[in-house]
Formats: sequence, structure tokens, C-alpha cells
Amino acid sequence: MGKKKQKIILPPDLPPEVPDEEVEVSDEDLDFVDQHSDYANFMSKIDTPSLTKHVSRVADANEGALELLYEKKLRKKFENKEKEENTLEVDPIDALPLKTADGQLYYRRVKEPKEAAEESGESIKDPALVKPTKAEKRLKTKKLRKEAKKQAKEEEVQQTPQEEVLDEVKKDLTAEEANEKKKYKFAELGTTLLADPESNIRLLKEMLELSKDGDSTIVILGLKSLLAVFKDIIPGYRIRLPTEKEQEMKVSKDVKKMRFYESTLLSAYKAYVQKLVALQQQTAYQLVATRCLCTLVAAVPHFNYRESLLAAVVKDISSQDDVIRKLCCSAVKSLFTNEGKHGGEVTVEAVRRIAELVKSHNCQLHPDSLEVFLSLSFDEDLGKPERSDMDKKAKYKNFKKRKGSDESNQKPENDRKKSRKEMMSKTREEVNADYKAVSSDQDPQERRKMQSQTLSAVFQTFFRVLKHTVQPKSEGSVNGAFGSHPLLDPCLNGIGKFAHLIDLDFMADLMQCLRKLAGNGNKSADSSENSSCQLTVSERLRCCIVAFKVMRNNLDALNVDLQEFFIQLYNLILEYQPGRDDGDLLAEALKIMLCDERQHDMQRAAAFIKRLATFALCFRPAESMAALVTVKHLLQKNAKCRNLLENDAGGGSVAGAIAKFQPQVLDPNLCGALASVLWELNLLMKHYHPSVSSIAATISTMNANTNQVFRVHASPQQAYTELLKENESFATPSAIKRTNNKRKVSDSVPVQGPDLNSSDEIDENAIRSKLSQHFSLLHDIQENERLRSEMDHTRQSLNLYETYKMQKKRKARSN
Amino acid sequence: MRPLDENETVAVFNKLHKFVGNNLKNIVLESQAHEGPETNPGRYCFRMQKNRVYYVSESLVKRATNVKRDKLVSLGTQIGKFTKSGKFHLTVQCLNLLAANAKHKVWLKPTSETKFLYGHSLKKDGVGRITEGIQVNNGVVVFSMSDVPLGFGDAAKSTVDYRKMDPNGIVVHHHADIGEYLRMEDDL
Repeated sequence: MGKKKQKIILPPDLPPEVPDEEVEVSDEDLDFVDQHSDYANFMSKIDTPSLTKHVSRVADANEGALELLYEKKLRKKFENKEKEENTLEVDPIDALPLKTADGQLYYRRVKEPKEAAEESGESIKDPALVKPTKAEKRLKTKKLRKEAKKQAKEEEVQQTPQEEVLDEVKKDLTAEEANEKKKYKFAELGTTLLADPESNIRLLKEMLELSKDGDSTIVILGLKSLLAVFKDIIPGYRIRLPTEKEQEMKVSKDVKKMRFYESTLLSAYKAYVQKLVALQQQTAYQLVATRCLCTLVAAVPHFNYRESLLAAVVKDISSQDDVIRKLCCSAVKSLFTNEGKHGGEVTVEAVRRIAELVKSHNCQLHPDSLEVFLSLSFDEDLGKPERSDMDKKAKYKNFKKRKGSDESNQKPENDRKKSRKEMMSKTREEVNADYKAVSSDQDPQERRKMQSQTLSAVFQTFFRVLKHTVQPKSEGSVNGAFGSHPLLDPCLNGIGKFAHLIDLDFMADLMQCLRKLAGNGNKSADSSENSSCQLTVSERLRCCIVAFKVMRNNLDALNVDLQEFFIQLYNLILEYQPGRDDGDLLAEALKIMLCDERQHDMQRAAAFIKRLATFALCFRPAESMAALVTVKHLLQKNAKCRNLLENDAGGGSVAGAIAKFQPQVLDPNLCGALASVLWELNLLMKHYHPSVSSIAATISTMNANTNQVFRVHASPQQAYTELLKENESFATPSAIKRTNNKRKVSDSVPVQGPDLNSSDEIDENAIRSKLSQHFSLLHDIQENERLRSEMDHTRQSLNLYETYKMQKKRKARSN
Repeated sequence: MRPLDENETVAVFNKLHKFVGNNLKNIVLESQAHEGPETNPGRYCFRMQKNRVYYVSESLVKRATNVKRDKLVSLGTQIGKFTKSGKFHLTVQCLNLLAANAKHKVWLKPTSETKFLYGHSLKKDGVGRITEGIQVNNGVVVFSMSDVPLGFGDAAKSTVDYRKMDPNGIVVHHHADIGEYLRMEDDL
């Protein structure tokens, strides 16, 4: 391709127009044309208006576009012009043409409805085009495609009309042409705008006009091109329209131009946003409109009209449609994380709107809508505003004092030096003030104010959700599409995350709510006021965890003991089911409530130890491990509980008031666990999983061991997750690892019996083949039986028939 | 010795309820007494002798009827006494019973144990731990950090207010403590 860096040469003047009919074509000419049809095609394809357009566009496009344009043009020139309607010509590269005896080249044709191809082509391309890295690149590729199709179209239009169908086709084509023209126009306007926004700003209006078309593709295309243009054009500051007074002032040309530019931009943008918001309601355009809105919100949150943008996005944050919802949620999240772009006001606004949404929907929203709150971040010292001020003042005072003392310490200076020092300090202050005014950092006071506003809105929402969950369900209340308490999980997570920022006043209320929530599953028996909110075990666990987090994070409340929640946890351990409930959550609860607590009531600790040991017997190795790690922690911390490891039932003197262990009692303080003995450890020592059995052995000898060696698993959560992963591909250890006695004793070894004495790695395929053999055998046996029974049945019926025949014969004979 | 009448029972139960709350049924109904030669465990009940109320198992009561009324000094565990004006006060001897069933507990730091045992009320800076959810005038049982019950009293502030209090404020009004065994040996 030698035409790479060519200068743009205007084409020569076109020859005078001669209508087609008057041209006389001789036979020779015809032959010549047929023989060299490749070259001659070019002549017939000249279309004056399109050519001029090409020329003008080529002039405007930049270099990269230029060369691609030329490439495409050349390639298209060598295609065959003769085509039937509604066929798509296959690129000669893909399918070689045929040459017939009389020298005609036949290019392969594919019958395809052009409309559909175009539409699908458009729609496939368009989603990819929505996220352009460079608007120009996209526009350019669009241009090229349009061009190619346009040329194809042109060829069709200029065919010699032979059939009547052509009339209809022509009508379609003219409509198509119009569409093409419009798309083409969009691309053109877009590039012009991006090339020089200030002068061409009125083209925006044109684009807007164009996009008011009836055809959906045009509208969608228009929206998207406008989106790309706006994203690049919009400045980094809010536009403030000049007031009356300012408009009357005499200003320079530049300022006038700027003003004009800004006002046009603003009005066009306003119209665009209004259109988007209107289109969001219509289902045909919903996805496109939402996408445009979200991109705008994420890209230009500082600009005007962001309130309407925000309103539209937040409205859809809980839509049923997954794609739309995800879009909106990610837009809002990016808003929260990129606070630098817009300052805190938009965050406040967004949070407020979400809170209102929750309120209006009565807490029946998709959990994603509250999960966006988890990406909020607050300053660490938000809870202590005055202290930092005081620190500042104190620092300043110290500074002054020091200066003063310096002065007084020194020998009495002459006045000049003193005044110089004063001047220096004065100038320093002035410099500081100037710097502050100029620097773009936000005033910390402002920032703090906005953050506290956001925080209060966030907590308002959380409390609303909590209160909604707590109150008893009236008969009229309908279960939303999301289940009864969809927002509870993210709400609790959020409270846990921001626990250190909660004010003391709300703490009591919050605790009460949590207590009610955590305990509700239990109380259905004896409470007459039937709060029928049955929370799952996971939710109740989460309540307990959050309560502890809140307490712990609030430094003033370190020594408060949460008895109720311990009672709840004690009972929740019993209610846990591995498939239905979240084991991770249970492990976290164990860690937070039991392992991290500094002090425990002896009775209570012993109760938990006993119950966890029993629990460890019932479930998979993962849960057992978590429970046993907790037991170990508790035993190490509470020395008195070690009499659970001694063999005196009845507890002796340490048992306290309660002489007998009652396992079914609900309250851990009253169950008398100090009087029990941990027999379960003996059973656990024979567990099939090696880690479980070893930790059980360690625990049972804890009294005798003076050196306490910490094991690898530091927390029940780690133990749980590790063993959970292992569980999926767990293989019974081979006989080598354990003594033969123990192996023989445990007959309850799982299925892989025959492989015990073989190598460590159990061959899955071998098992599979063996199992398949076994099952096919079973299947055959069953089939066999079935067939046999059928055979018996038929045999019986045959016999019956024969007897009947014989009887008939006999009758006939006797008759 | 006689069983308690209606009003007296109400008074005793009210007082106990202040300290143990719902666990009152543990004390009254479900506690099992393994004393005595019968194979079935009996129940505990309340009996009054000379204005003092005793918590005693039924089998013991049966045997105590054999002792003459004016010769009977005490039986079972004394939990409190009635004053001349008919009010009921809990005494220190019921501490074990209360401690086992208490709803609201306060744990003392080792440094302030002695003060409490001398009969002074409890200040905030002496408190090591405190149960959540205490309201004003609830009955509170005081423990040491090693879970030894030291005495009981009334809550002066709720847990919520407790957090905001200054360190010198009174948290628990003293009612009875085990130091009384030494101090007021004659009165008990």
C-alpha cells in the first residue's frame, strides 16, 4: 500500500454531467468493459454526492483514519458490482470467484436479509462501542462500516431494474439510505465536535435533533454518540451561567465566545439528560439509557444536573433486571470510592436518596442496594471532632508560648529584632492563609460536616431496616419479591463495619434491637405477643457477631458483658445444620465471642466447652476442628475449667452451686457444666481425620503438660476453612500412617475399603470403573428379573389360552 | 415453724425476683433435693420460724417437725427475715442461692474487693465487668474476678448510664456481703 502518508489532494474537477441514456456504447466497448470489468466497475460506481462527501470527510479525518479509509476504498473497488437484491457479496478473500467460459467472473453470493444483518451487526457492535477508549476510533470504525455498506447500497441502487420487486426494494433502500445518512451524519458531527469543541458547539444541537428520530436504532446510536462526545467535552468544573448583571457588562471576544460555548453546552446537556431520563421508562431503551446515565454519573459527577442523574440512577438500584441493577450499583460504588472527583456532596446526596428509597419501599429491596454502603469510607477521627480542634489550638498555643518564652529567655533585644520576629510570624500566617485559599484541598471542617451527614443518613437507613425486621408482621403486609428480610444481611454487615463510629446514645437502642432479633427464633413458645419474624440461624449468628463488634469497637464499653448473646450463641450451636447454615459464620462467631474475650464466667465457659465438644462429634471434620480449637482456647484461658478433664463427675468442690450437669437447659450459666466431664474427647481421639484426633489428644493431656505449645491453627475460622477445602478431596490415610490396631478397630471407615492397603493416592479412575461395573451389574440383574417376570406372565397367559382352546374344542366336540 | 402465708410469699418472691428474674422457677419449682433417704428427689420449699424465712427441702421439713417449736433454731438455709413492720429483707446467707441464679452480675477488681467487704458501696472505678442490660434498682450480685460471690446489692445506675458516669460515682448500693460473717456475727 503505497498511499500511506499521502498529502490530501483535492480531486480534479469532474467532467460535465452527461445523462446515462445518451451515452452510446459500442460493441467493442462492451467487450472491453467485460474483459476488464474489474477496472470498469470503478466508473459505474462513481456517485457524485457521495464522492464529494468522501472528499470533505477525508479532509477532516486525521491521518490514521485516512489510511484506513483509503484501504477500504481500494478493497471495495475491486468487488463485483452485479448483484441480486438482498444478497450479500462474500469478500473475495473468503471465497474465490469463478470464471466461466465466456470470461465472466462470478463472485459468490450469500442470500441474507440485509436488514437483519445490519441490525444485528449494529447491535453487536454497539454494546462494545459503549465503552470506547477513544471516541474517535469508534467513530472511525463506524464510518468505515457505514461507508462499505453505503457503497454496497449504491451499487444496488444503480442496477438496471429488471423486476417489479425492485420498486419495493427501492423504497426500502431509500429508507435505509436515509438511515445510513443519519448514522453517517452522527459520525461526522461527532468527529467535528471532538476535533474542535469550542467552535463547533452548535453541532451538538444538530446531533440532538437527529436523535429524535422514530427508528430505535437511530435513537440508540444517537444516545451513544452523544454520550461519547459529552464524556470528552465536559470540563472539569461546574458551569455557572452568567447572571444578568454580568451579561450586561462589556466583555472581550474570548469571554463572549466562552460564554456562548458554555451556555450551548449546558443547554444541550440538559436536553440530553432529560431525554435519557424520559427514555429510561420505556422498556425498549431502558438498558441503553441506564448505561448512559451510569457512565455519566461515574465520569462527570462534578458537573451540573448531577442531581437528576443521581435520582435516575438510584431509582434503578433495586430493579429486578440483573444487568441494570449491577450497572447502577457499580456506578454508585465508583462514586463513593472516587470522592476526589466531586467532593463529598454527591456522596451525601446519593446516600440520602438511597435512604429515601428504602423508606418508600418499606425495606423490600434487593440486598445489592445496601451493599453499596460497604464501599463508603469515613475518616478515622470522625467520632472525635473537638479533640482535633483542641489539639490544633493547643499546638498553636504551645507554639506561641514557646516563642514568647524564647523571647523572654533571651537577653533583652533591641526593638528592631523583636519587631522583625513579629513581622516574620505575621507573614507566615498570611502565607498560610493564602496557601489554604489557593490549594484545592477541602477545608477539613467542611469535609467533616459532610461525612457526618453521610454517616447519619447511613445509620438512619440501618436502623430503619432493623426496626422493620423487629416489628411483628401484620396480616396485611405482603412479602416482597425478595423474601421477608432481604436487607438484613447487608445492614448487619454495614453496622459491623462502621461500628466504631456509632454514638453512645444509639448504642442502647441498637443493643436492644439486636437482642430481640437474635432471640426471636426461640421465643415462639412462650411469648404471647407473637413476633413472627423467624430469622435463620445465619442471621441470628450475624446479629450476635455484630453486637460484639459494636461493643468491642466502642472503647468506653469494654467491660460490659453481653449475657443475652451468649445464651443465644449457646442455643444456636445446637441449631446449626451444615448444609443449610454458614459454617464460616459460626467459626467467626466462636472466635469473636469466645476466643477473643478476656474474661469469662466459669460456669459459662465450662458450658460452652462441654457443648462444643458434643458438637464436634456430630459434624464434618471442618466444624469439629473449629469447635476443638475454641475448646482449646477456652481451656487454656480458664484454668478452673480444667477439672472438666478430670474424672470426677459431680465436680467436687469446683462445681459451684449446681451439682448436676443438665444438658438441655437453655442458659449456659445454669446448666452446671463444671460438674461434667469431657468424655467426648475419648471418642474424638478415634476420629478418622488425623488433625481432629491429634488435637483431641492434646486437649485431653493438657493438664499434665506444663508446656503449652500453640498449634498451627490460630483461630477457629482458619481451621474451618482449611479443613473445608481439604474435605472435598479427602482421602483416607493409608495404613502406613497409623498403627494397625486402630485401623482395625474403626470399622466405620468410609467406602474405599479395598484401597486401604494400596498406595497413598487413590486412583479415581479405578474407583470409577469399579463402581460402574458394580452398578451395571446391578442394573443387569434388575433387567434380568424384570424380563423373567414378563416371560412368566406371558407364559401364563399362553397356558391360559391353550386351556381355553382345549375347552372350546371339547365343547365343540361334545356339541 | 410454719409455711408462709399469701402476703408473705408474695413479698419473698418479689424480692427474689428482683435478683434472679425468670430463674425464680428454678429456685422454687425445679430444684431437686437429694437429701434424705427417699430415692426420689424432693422439692425445696420455704418455711418461717421466728420471723426468719428458710429455704429447705421437704424431706428435711418432715424431720424438723420432730423438734419442739421453741427449741428449733434454724433449718435449711436462711434467706432473709421479716422486720417488725412486715417488710422482707434478704440476708447474706442466701448469697449462694442468688449467685447461682443471678441475672445481673458485677465483677470487682481485686483492689476494691476489700472496700466492698467492709460494707461500703461500690464505685465505678472498682468495677471490672458488668452485665449488659441492668436497669436502675435491679438486684445485682457482686463477684470477684475469679467468680467468687462476694455479696449483693441494688443497682444505682443502668448499664447505659454507667458508661457515661464519672469514675467516682456509686454503681451498686451495698446490701449484704460475706464480710458480715465476721463483722456482724452476732446479728445473723
